[in-house]
Formats: sequence, structure tokens, C-alpha cells
Amino acid sequence: MSRKQFVIIGNSAAGISCVETIRKNDKNSKIIVISDEGYPAYCRCLISNYLAKEIKEKEIFYREESFYKDNQIELILNKKAVSLDTRKNVVILEDKNKFSYDYLLIATGSSPKFPSIEGMRRKGVFGFRSLKDVEEIEKLLPFANTACILGGGLIGIKSASSLLKRGIRVKLIVKSKQILSQILDFDSARIVQSFLENKGMEIFLGSDVVEIMGKDNVEGIRLDSGEKIPCSLVIVAKGVKPNTAWVKESPLKINTGILANEYLQTNIPNVFTAGDVCEVKDLISSQYTINALWPVAVEEGEVAGFNMCGERKIYPGSLGMNSVEFFGLPVISIGIFSPQEKAGYEELIHQDLARNIYKKFVLKENRLVGTILIGDIRAGGLFLRLIKEKKEVISIKDKLFNENFNYADIKGLIEEREKIYV
Amino acid sequence: MAKSLYYKIDKCLGCKSCEIACAIAHGEGGNIFLTIREGVLPRKKVYYCEGKNYPLSCLHCKEHPCVNACIAGALTYDAEKKLVLHDEKKCVGCWICVMVCPYGAIRPDFKKKIPLRCDKCKDKDKPQCVIACPTKAIIWEEETVI
Repeated sequence: MSRKQFVIIGNSAAGISCVETIRKNDKNSKIIVISDEGYPAYCRCLISNYLAKEIKEKEIFYREESFYKDNQIELILNKKAVSLDTRKNVVILEDKNKFSYDYLLIATGSSPKFPSIEGMRRKGVFGFRSLKDVEEIEKLLPFANTACILGGGLIGIKSASSLLKRGIRVKLIVKSKQILSQILDFDSARIVQSFLENKGMEIFLGSDVVEIMGKDNVEGIRLDSGEKIPCSLVIVAKGVKPNTAWVKESPLKINTGILANEYLQTNIPNVFTAGDVCEVKDLISSQYTINALWPVAVEEGEVAGFNMCGERKIYPGSLGMNSVEFFGLPVISIGIFSPQEKAGYEELIHQDLARNIYKKFVLKENRLVGTILIGDIRAGGLFLRLIKEKKEVISIKDKLFNENFNYADIKGLIEEREKIYV
Repeated sequence: MAKSLYYKIDKCLGCKSCEIACAIAHGEGGNIFLTIREGVLPRKKVYYCEGKNYPLSCLHCKEHPCVNACIAGALTYDAEKKLVLHDEKKCVGCWICVMVCPYGAIRPDFKKKIPLRCDKCKDKDKPQCVIACPTKAIIWEEETVI
């Protein structure tokens, strides 16, 4: 095998999974990983656990210290890629250093969106995306009493929960009429909301922030209602945008993210993409979508890695799926959980509010296309499998809410992959 | 070649001896009374469906999507031993492994905040469920033999 040069931009879920796949298939080629962060690979999803002091700093790194050496990877940290020349096959970094490649993976991830309102640059305003964000927030905590979190999505609630656990008073400002609108329907969001309020989180629905007040430092925020809330810490959790700015001048096709085909290949044959920056067809809707999730990034990185080594592998499409726990309340959401057009969809719901249990199944043409599980998540993996395999579920429809729903119930519907029963 | 667990459904009585043996094997006490007091849960469960019993625990399957999905790097796959290894210290109890298990075999232990995962009793001669089964419905064998 001729010795190739692989360049990977991004050192997180997608980048690492791609690198590991390449190394398994190709022991000789050169691999260079470039990151604008200053750390070896870490579990980005655990920055909230780190802020809550549930884990120590060293526990956030998810590969051995010797990982890069053992796999003969050249790691370049604290360097941002600023431009791409796809004709010469060269990536240029901010320090003007150039790296040529035979195959390139763009896994540059995403960054928090900061709305353009007065005071966004004051000291004490943070995104919640990186280990560096947490370290900066940590410095301010001894002096902080109240924090305002802007945004009621997963990142907003996870960061708010962490601060609450650290004894900070937390106010969550949510523009929408419900929290977690990206993963829950209205009724299930209410259950989670009252659960969080019982834990001490103050939640303001239907209100938006219009100004971050103060001089150098944050002193408070002003809402669209005119209400002013004094605080010394603001976390902006109003979604993320893919980091595509540096390739805007290149011939790469970009919609919201960089567009990729089922091989995770861009319109330039030797340039691949994966993770939060990559826009690929969704498994259920077949529309180009970014499902900016850790497990999706790992899957995409792996498929890209195979294809970069010349092993043809098809990605069936990404799927929105989340599993989180808030103060002991487990929540799973997969696929289409609240269809906007009701026609053609069937929604089955079971709630047991006394036990904080809510289960919802969304069916289309007798196939499961989405679910919400709160409180009882045990059979989550089986529902994910039914959604992914797109099988008709009429025969088991009356069993879906069964607390002992199990593999034997779906065994007859799905393709057997591994033998268990003889 | 590594051995795995298989089940003869027609022989399973649903007596749950395997569940009890599993819980005892993963507790400190070494007997059923102390195991109950410790609150140790079995990593295996016998399910019932249309007149038959189906024992189930982590298959350590070849695709092991849980390992890829784990956000804490707590899971690794040992291909030689055909074993998914779980580092309980790293686990944060997010239940993503529960969400992606294609067999619904990983269950959450909410008290300990870690998933219940079969470890094939890796520090013992053979899985204790195999020994406990009174009807020899549990087979501990290499895949090629099956």
C-alpha cells in the first residue's frame, strides 16, 4: 500500500473516530490531526458534569495519554485552519503553516450562536461548548450569586443544572413557550419543567433578553418585558452554528453545514466531512440535516474513515436521538416526536404524572418514526431499532406501553443479526 | 476463540435461578441474603413473551453501538475476548447505552447510576448463570460450535 497523508481538522468525536478507523485499516500512512483547542480529545458532553464537579478534570479525557503516540498521529494543538486550497490539496493554518493532504476530513464542529444584542461582549458572558468555557466560568464562580442562562435547550438546561448543583441561583430565560423544544413535545416539556422547578431552577418562558447590562462586567440582563434581572454570570445557549466560515471561499458546497453524500464525501472527492459541521441526509426525513450529536459524530467519523481508506461504506443517514438525565429523571427522545403536519401520523401517549412517567410513540404508515420516554426508558434501544429498521409494528402496537416490553416482543419483526436463542 | 452465552428457549422454565446467581456473583456478600441487603441487581433478566421465557443479558455483540455512543469513554470492546468492558468509574449514568442497545439488554440501575451490563463473569471460570440453570438451558460456547 502506498503511503498516503491524511489530514484531520478537528480533535473531537468525529475526528478521533475517523483517525481510529483509518489506523485500523492502514498502519503506514501519515495522519495529522489539527485542533484549535489546547487539549487532547475530551468528552465534550461531559463539560456540564465537570462544571458540576461530578467528575475530575482528568476523567474528561477519553483516550489514554499515549493515544496519539501509540497510533503515530501528529497532533497539532491551538492552531486554527483558516483556508483550504482544494486544487493544490493544501490546508493553511493561521500561523501560515501549510499542510498538504491526499485525503482531508473536515470535522471542525460548531460554535455557540451569540445574538447581536447590546452588551454581549461584557465580561461574564460565556458560551457553553468547550473545556475552556468551563474553566473561565469556574474562575467567576466564587464571586457569582445569580446566573442567567439564555436558552431552554439541552445545553441551557445542562449548564443551568450544573450551576444549581454548585449552589448558584439560576434563572433560565426561554424564548419559546416550552423548554427543550428540540427534543420534547409540549406536555412532556411541562413534566420536565416542573421537575426542574422543584429542584430550584427558575424558568421564564416566552421571554427574550434584549440587553446584557453592566460596565466592564455583567451586572444583569433586561428582558423584552422590561424586567431587569441582576446577575454576574450569563451563559448563552441559543443553539450552535457549524464552523464553516474558513471554507467559504473554497468550492465546497455548503448549505447550513458542509454537504456530504452517503459516503460522507463532499463535492470534492478527496475531502470528507463528519460531525457537527457536516450536513447529511436524515434517516427518517431523507432531508439534508445536521444532527449535532456525539453518537452521530462518532458514526460519521467512522464511515468517513473507511471511505478515506478506499473501503466503500455507506452511511444510512443520521438520526436525532438524545438520552439525558436531569437530577435523576431520565429522558430519551428519538426521531419525529411531535409531527407538525398531523395528517398521516398517529400519536400514542401514556402518562403517569405521579411517577413522572410519560411515553409517546409516533407512527407513520404503521411504522415507528419517533418516541419520547420520560421516567421509564428501559426499552429505549428496542424502539430505536424499530425506528431505524422501519418495520411495520401493527402486531405489537398494543404492547408498546408494556413495562416489560422486551426483545422477544420484536424478535419476529426484525432481521436477526446475532444468534441468542437456539 | 471466545465463548458467549446462548439459550435453549424450550428448556427455560423461567425460574430466574440465573438472575439470582448473577446478582450474587456481582455483590460483595456471596449469598442471597447479603446480596438482597446490598441491593445488587442482576445483570441478566428473564423476559416472558407469548408462553415462552427469554433470558437476556448484554450479548457483547459485534456491532456494539453502545461503545461508539458512550459520551464518557467508559466502554471499550475487546475483540479477542468478545467482551464489552465497562469502566464504572468513568460512567456518568446518561443512559445513552440503554438508548442504543439493539437488544434492549442494557438496563439502568437508577440507585447506583450505572447501567447493568453482563461481564461474562470474566474473573471466574465461567458465567455463574450457566452453573445455576437447573435445566441446562444456558449454553456457554464458541460461536462456531453453535
